[in-house]
Amino acid sequence: MKSAEEINAALEAYADMVRRICFLHLKNGYDTEDVFQNVYMKYMLYEGVFESSEHEKAWFARVTINACKDMLRYFSRRKWVPLDVIAEEREALDDKDEGVLEVVLKLPEKYRSVIYLYYYEGYSATEIAGILGRKENTIYTWLARAKALLRVKLGGEWA
Amino acid sequence: MGMNPIRESLEKIQATEELKQNTLQYLNEQRQKKSRVRAHYVPQAALAAVVLFCLIGIGGYSVYRKPVSYISIDVNPSIELGLNCFGRVVSAEAYNDDGRGMIEQVPLKNVSYMQAINRLINDDKYNSYLDEDAVLVFTVISDRPDKILEELHASGLAEQYEALTYTSDPVCREEAHRHEMSFGKYRTYLELLEYDENVTIEDCHGMTMGELRDRIDACTHGGQTGSGKEHHRRENERGHDCAN
Repeated sequence: MKSAEEINAALEAYADMVRRICFLHLKNGYDTEDVFQNVYMKYMLYEGVFESSEHEKAWFARVTINACKDMLRYFSRRKWVPLDVIAEEREALDDKDEGVLEVVLKLPEKYRSVIYLYYYEGYSATEIAGILGRKENTIYTWLARAKALLRVKLGGEWA
Repeated sequence: MGMNPIRESLEKIQATEELKQNTLQYLNEQRQKKSRVRAHYVPQAALAAVVLFCLIGIGGYSVYRKPVSYISIDVNPSIELGLNCFGRVVSAEAYNDDGRGMIEQVPLKNVSYMQAINRLINDDKYNSYLDEDAVLVFTVISDRPDKILEELHASGLAEQYEALTYTSDPVCREEAHRHEMSFGKYRTYLELLEYDENVTIEDCHGMTMGELRDRIDACTHGGQTGSGKEHHRRENERGHDCAN
């Protein structure tokens, strides 16, 4: 079992990333808290050794995405409205942000992870393939389609 | 990438202090629950191990305690030794007063049967029964009686005391005990009965092995007594079968 110090360090380092992945997939703050706690619980109980902080970060990304998918499967019938999760973050966001995030949140679920890992975390397609357990070519395809959708919605900046 | 509105917007989505604190609290609770669960199961696992250990111990002890072979040692004192599968004496029963006196005096249990027999024969009081006219008889009940008989002869004991050795069987032993007699003496009684139909079990109770032997010799050798001892020592090593 991981020590309290290790957990504090992991909270400092990855809490925002975990929160953002949750935001992109989940329906509300309660689900986010559930997944958030589950991810850190898994970390606390994880017996393996991380070769580097990069390795550790990728582990967090993968575990969080999977935890979100599990949560969505579990509550598959609940209606998901992007505007609700944006509303929860209204204080932090301005109109422009809300517009951008709404577009992102309206992307098909599988594209959201790719977009996040690529545009926010700066992972390469190869690395994303590793994290998501998909073929590299699949990631390229998803990225291209997601970009095309964003370009239509967000306009010139993406040209 | 240059302008990246997605990055810009997402930058503002952050884990709140509240979310982190709730998570820390949750993990602490889970950590305690986990260690409680562990602490809860440790005594149970230990108990299970102790119980298992005891069962193996009891099982082993009952195997140790179970007699699988018997040696009846008769002169006048009649004593039966029960041997477990390791050849150790686990029971010693006397079938007459002289025998009872001996087993009270000589510790025979929890040693090898040869050790027990040596203790008995080297005892002064027991030795006093082994006079000129006495006959020492070993009678064995076992799945492998040859092994015990061989050892009795190999030790030189049987030769030294001119002992007779026979085998018997559990049916005879049961019958003998019904008459409160050792199976060794009972076997000799059955042998005598073949020659003398008038002999009764009550007669035998009052006779020593030497006297019984003399009666048998008298029947088979026209009344000569005492001298038949040597002759019979090798001759009749077969058991008297009660199942017949």
